[in-house]
Amino acid sequence: MSSTHENIFLRLQRIDRRWIYLVLWLVIMVPLIFPFRIQPRASTPVAQLFNYIDTMPENKALVISVDFTPDTRAELQPMVIALLRHAFTIKRRVGILAMQVYGLGLAEEAIQQVTNEFNSRAQTHEDSVIYGEDFVFWGWTTPLLTVMLGMGERITRVFPVDYYGNPTESLPIMRDLKNYDDVGILVSIAASAMPRSWINFAQVQFGVNLSCGITAVSAADFYPYVNSGQFIGMLAGMKGAAEYEQLVEKRMKNKGMDWGLRNTGTEAMSSQTAAHLAIMVFIVVGNIAYFASRRRKK
Amino acid sequence: MLSLTLLLAITIFPPEHVQARDIPNDEGGKIVVTWDRINAPELIGYRVLRQQRNSDKWDTLAFVGRLNNRYIDDAAVNRIEYRYQIIAVAESTQAVSQPSAYTCSLPQWFDTSTLPALLGTVILSLIFVFFFDRAKRDRNLFIRRIAGLDAVEEALGRATEMGRATLYVPGLSTMSDVATIASLNILGEVAKKTAQFGTPLIVPVADPIVYTVAREVVKEAYTTAGRPDAFHQDIVFFVTDQQFAFAAAVDGIMTREKPATNFLIGMFWAESLIIAETGAATGAIQIAGTDAVAQLPFFITACDYTLIGEELYAASAYISREPVLLGGIKAQDYSKALIVFMILVFSVLALSFNLPVLSWL
Amino acid sequence: MKRRLPLLIVLITGIFGAVAFFVPYPAIRAADEIMRNDVQRIIAAFSLVLGVGSIVQHHMLKIQRRAQYYSYSYITIIALIITAIIGVFGGIDVTRPGILPTRFGSFSIHIQTLYSNMMVPLAATMFSLLAFFMASAAYRAFRARNLEATLLLLAAFIVMLGAVPFGRLIHHQLPAFAEWILAVPNTASKRGILFGVELGIFATSLKIILGIERGWLGGGK
Repeated sequence: MSSTHENIFLRLQRIDRRWIYLVLWLVIMVPLIFPFRIQPRASTPVAQLFNYIDTMPENKALVISVDFTPDTRAELQPMVIALLRHAFTIKRRVGILAMQVYGLGLAEEAIQQVTNEFNSRAQTHEDSVIYGEDFVFWGWTTPLLTVMLGMGERITRVFPVDYYGNPTESLPIMRDLKNYDDVGILVSIAASAMPRSWINFAQVQFGVNLSCGITAVSAADFYPYVNSGQFIGMLAGMKGAAEYEQLVEKRMKNKGMDWGLRNTGTEAMSSQTAAHLAIMVFIVVGNIAYFASRRRKK
Repeated sequence: MLSLTLLLAITIFPPEHVQARDIPNDEGGKIVVTWDRINAPELIGYRVLRQQRNSDKWDTLAFVGRLNNRYIDDAAVNRIEYRYQIIAVAESTQAVSQPSAYTCSLPQWFDTSTLPALLGTVILSLIFVFFFDRAKRDRNLFIRRIAGLDAVEEALGRATEMGRATLYVPGLSTMSDVATIASLNILGEVAKKTAQFGTPLIVPVADPIVYTVAREVVKEAYTTAGRPDAFHQDIVFFVTDQQFAFAAAVDGIMTREKPATNFLIGMFWAESLIIAETGAATGAIQIAGTDAVAQLPFFITACDYTLIGEELYAASAYISREPVLLGGIKAQDYSKALIVFMILVFSVLALSFNLPVLSWL
Repeated sequence: MKRRLPLLIVLITGIFGAVAFFVPYPAIRAADEIMRNDVQRIIAAFSLVLGVGSIVQHHMLKIQRRAQYYSYSYITIIALIITAIIGVFGGIDVTRPGILPTRFGSFSIHIQTLYSNMMVPLAATMFSLLAFFMASAAYRAFRARNLEATLLLLAAFIVMLGAVPFGRLIHHQLPAFAEWILAVPNTASKRGILFGVELGIFATSLKIILGIERGWLGGGK
């Protein structure tokens, strides 16, 4: 009996990692197919960002920098969509740019989705969101320093033409969106250290208000900047996106816009919760096996 | 209805306290105009007008919304005096303010808001220069052991014995990241040793500019080691600047070529564990180093040795044992002690006397 | 000269970069803007050519030498050429076609098609591997071997519970406690490391500007 136990614990300690992969795959897939409803409540950094944008002066614009690539789309795209919905709901102008060339397609995808959501339900000209008036997509340019520092001087110089090839000077929105002085907040959505570059170049030199949306795996890196006030709140991982989605949904309902839109971040919460719990179970099992085999050795 | 409109029109007062002043600490060309906001529901916004001295003409600069009480004139010419007028505009009427006093924009030679940064830069530079100089004279500076760097030789020796390659990934960032520069400094030292040992070296790079510099570094290192013949164009190569495509390529190299030693040194992000776990699965000795704090736990878990934060910057000096460079490590330690001392003193002052000292910094 | 010239360029541009941070005078700002806007853009454009050249050279060499797994190099080169042709001549998407006939009935292969149907799923697959590697690494490495490891394990447990909505069901204050761990002890330790890192960055920059550190030039005197 004792040797059987020993064998089990030893085998558990040296388990082939592919078994762990298989269990985790099942744990992620099952809730995706049969989801259970989880409604996340906003954490402080998420509420901070939401409240800031919600009470931003009318003449200030929200700038979203799509600084991620398709790999992190599942985790970060819901943030871009939620931010766009929020800005269009409270009628704040939006400027969108991409610091990664691969982010262009993602930004375009988000813009198409959210503008369709609003324009297909718009009753009046006021309700609709119009390109060049309510929002602008500047596109991408390189290098990083040119963009971050150049936007402090004159945005149209950094982006002489927008993503669609229109001269930016000809867009009505650009008349009151000259440089960082007209930006209420710039939110960098990234899976890299790009938000830190925004601090180093855009905030240190021009004092622009910043926030970020970041993958959960990199979130711990950015807490010092949230605490120091350099970032006004933060969206951390899928959970941050889901929390923001909930706040935006509530805001839209308050404005009579109960459209029942899909919130992909919130939908993925059940799968993510199950995966977290599974990893915790792995750690517990791993420790039980470790202690049991150590005791046997003694 | 008409009388009501007239009544409302009468209630619009002109904006008061219109002031114009040069924006300090800038390159000039900007004047900020401020006024007292009017609380009238029928107000639409404000028209900002500008007049040059010795001119009769008032130019309209902009129309701003009713919630504004500030406008930055960024079209001012330096040293030319202007004055400003604000017109409050309602549906059926408008009210003109008194003009502001004349003012002109001037460029500044020094941005006073950067004074703390300048002081810090000067003090730290002096500390560093002092220790660089001292290191030239005192060649026995004590530097604590860094296990990860002590293991470099052993790891390269292992690769040589096994007849397998050494993989060096200098992170995924650009040359503007100092971690990349530090990594390339270490690459130079590692390449010298692989050249001496005759171990194949593989250096996949994620940025075209880093690729150019890394290739030169390795080429020079092979020449310095007396083995220019062993260098070939294929050692350093650009893969892609896309984060996870790069991770896939490195994973592919690890599983196909099975290098005996992997160096993962520089700036890494979410791909750190994907690369490090694959390396661990192939059984390679792994030495990682990064200043990306969030990635450190992943490297510590999956690698044999990890250079944490500042150790990355000390590595090139530590490996090369160049005295002047070692002086820099000493200077770093003393600077850190100075910062800790200042934090303690200012914290005690702030807490004891309730002083806003931290806002000075 | 071969070594002195780069060192001189680094010294001048390094000092100028620092000066431009403190001096807002128009002439300095204008020169700084030229360095940032024009010079860097030109270098970046050339570096892209170098990057593509490197990929082609690396894989052509593999094919020539019939190196192990050289057949994969064919795939890379063919993919590179096809993507470049479609990207340059094939148009962005259905609404913005290019000069190449990239639409066949209801099927189209524009750059957006390649992007949405190849780049996005391939890249997302790589990123999703992280979850599996993390689970496996946590299973193997998260052991309560000593007091420090146990504390780390406990903290990780609380943060993980706080990160999922399930944590609130255990105790309503648990997410707030997890947030506190991240915002206070975690930040404190991070700031400690960051001080060292920033000083390291300062030291490295100074050594390079002053020409003391020459490792990036391949070392030597």
